[in-house]
Amino acid sequence: MTPRRMPIARSLLLLALTVFALAPLAILIATSFARGWFYPAAVPAGFDGGAWHDLFADAAHRGALLNSLLLGIATALTATACALPLGRAAAAGARPVRRAVALLAFAAVALPPVVLGVGLQLTVLSLGLGGTLFGVFLSHLVPALGYLTLVFLGVFTRWDTRLEEAAATLGATASMRWRIVLLPLLRRPITEALALGFLVSWAQVALTLLVGGGAVRTLPLDVLAMLQSGQDQRAAAGALALTIPALIVLGASRIAARNTAAVVA
Amino acid sequence: MTAALEVRQLNVLFELSAEAAFAGVPVTRISSSTPLDEPPGFRVGLIDVNLTVAAGDCLAILGASGSGKSSLLRTIAGLQAMRTGTVRVKGRDVTTRPAEQRSIVYLHQEPVLFPHLSVLENVAFPLRIRGVSKDEAYRRAVDRLMTLQVGSVMGNAPDALSGGQRHRVALARALCAEPDVLLLDEPLASLDPAVLSDVRAALQVARTVSGAAMVLVTHDLDDALAIASHISAVSWCSLTEALTPDDLLRTPPDLETARLLGVYAEVSGVVSGVGEPVFTWIGGQLQAPGAAHGAAVACVRSHETALLAPGTAGMEVLSVVGRTERAHEILLELRNTAGETAVVRVGHDVAVRPGESMSISIRHARFFQSH
Repeated sequence: MTPRRMPIARSLLLLALTVFALAPLAILIATSFARGWFYPAAVPAGFDGGAWHDLFADAAHRGALLNSLLLGIATALTATACALPLGRAAAAGARPVRRAVALLAFAAVALPPVVLGVGLQLTVLSLGLGGTLFGVFLSHLVPALGYLTLVFLGVFTRWDTRLEEAAATLGATASMRWRIVLLPLLRRPITEALALGFLVSWAQVALTLLVGGGAVRTLPLDVLAMLQSGQDQRAAAGALALTIPALIVLGASRIAARNTAAVVA
Repeated sequence: MTAALEVRQLNVLFELSAEAAFAGVPVTRISSSTPLDEPPGFRVGLIDVNLTVAAGDCLAILGASGSGKSSLLRTIAGLQAMRTGTVRVKGRDVTTRPAEQRSIVYLHQEPVLFPHLSVLENVAFPLRIRGVSKDEAYRRAVDRLMTLQVGSVMGNAPDALSGGQRHRVALARALCAEPDVLLLDEPLASLDPAVLSDVRAALQVARTVSGAAMVLVTHDLDDALAIASHISAVSWCSLTEALTPDDLLRTPPDLETARLLGVYAEVSGVVSGVGEPVFTWIGGQLQAPGAAHGAAVACVRSHETALLAPGTAGMEVLSVVGRTERAHEILLELRNTAGETAVVRVGHDVAVRPGESMSISIRHARFFQSH
């Protein structure tokens, strides 16, 4: 390959990747605003915001959206609050402890959602929480906790414990060390963990379906139902609505990353 | 007068996860007045440590790498578990107190500054957490920074500082905590010569300004001599008695400590004779007052030897078979007619070369039984 051809090949590859990544999104946007777009027409008869209006006018959809937000926020907060001390304790522990925690966390992430869902369904049902929002929240917590424990295990394995030692001998109590040293330095991984925890719950379909048993509606389940019933425009609008919080969360975590000293190199 | 720091019967534990770091360091179970209690995951490294440091005084602890010096400091600071012994600060028993309640500041080998705080905020940190107002804390922090000649970097982030500046800022922060005891863990190791003198000067200033009892651990005699008023050494898993630098160099307590000091040539020979013992080595004989009879090692500094013309009365003729130049002295390898050899340290002014003959007189030496 000559040096002149390299940039062209690279440009083509970049273009292909861009199209591959953005084409579905473009089609979704077009479909969500389309009016009377039937096969084999290449373009819709017109554009309007009807699908978006229908989506948010429907109280059931709004309820599903609220459920998704509640589940996402509760899962993010709870999983972060549990995974942070768990990851810290495991990282400080002996190697067998570290390995055991990593293995358990990885199992929660790596198990096929259906396998995990069936196991969780049986557990949640036995607790009498089947078909409840709380039961679904507990089921979302399992993979989220797995992901976030792995995140914090990585953070604290490379964590410089001398920072806390220095603060302690300078007179800082345990709570001061958390407040003044640890939390500011952990702002970036905590923000990323909150974002990841939210997204794990936000995009969850299999666990919600199996544990919620159809009684708990979330936005992803509604989008699936709309797609199955041929409401393509509303399904597209719903799918796009699903991406908005994800983009906000990712943007927020990027801003936090920029504003935080990279102490965990 | 109450000592600022008093440590009694302390057994220092090594974490077994760090075992590899101590490979090759013999752990000899010498007699101990306290039972050796090793909790799971730990090994007893230093036994029956006793030390006393007065306010404003500085004790240097000399020891080889992996001998447990840092573990000793961490134990005193409350950063590492201890099973037996007591630690008192100004007469107050702090043995069971957490690190933050001991009034002991521990400075790591590499200065640890909080990366999310500016230099000024770092130095003001110990004052702010004690509830001192921001203005007053900053005023005192600036004062300390100026004392240690790093006032110009107070607005900088820690990662913008040079190695020497980081040390000075960490010292300024330690001084702002106004501790009764300041523990320094090899503060001069891994510094290049230009920064070394800079940080040594800062440590001397800190010692004068703080009035705290200082304990410095190091493997370098020069560092100890530059800062400390007394020196103790890690020998056979315990600490030797703290001596002034002059006393320690004149009469090191044992051969291991003498080797640690690194300033003596070791000359093998035999102590014998009726009445006043005499040490006989390949170069001749010298008085060995108080030395035990039998095989012995004489530790001799370079200025304690005198080169003589070959065949001087009573002296053996030796051939120079090796000459190694060092920064402040020369090592001469000598051989007698029977083929026995010895290495002595001589001053830089000695001009003899390999192949030449000479006699050598030892004016003074310390004698230890050879094992």
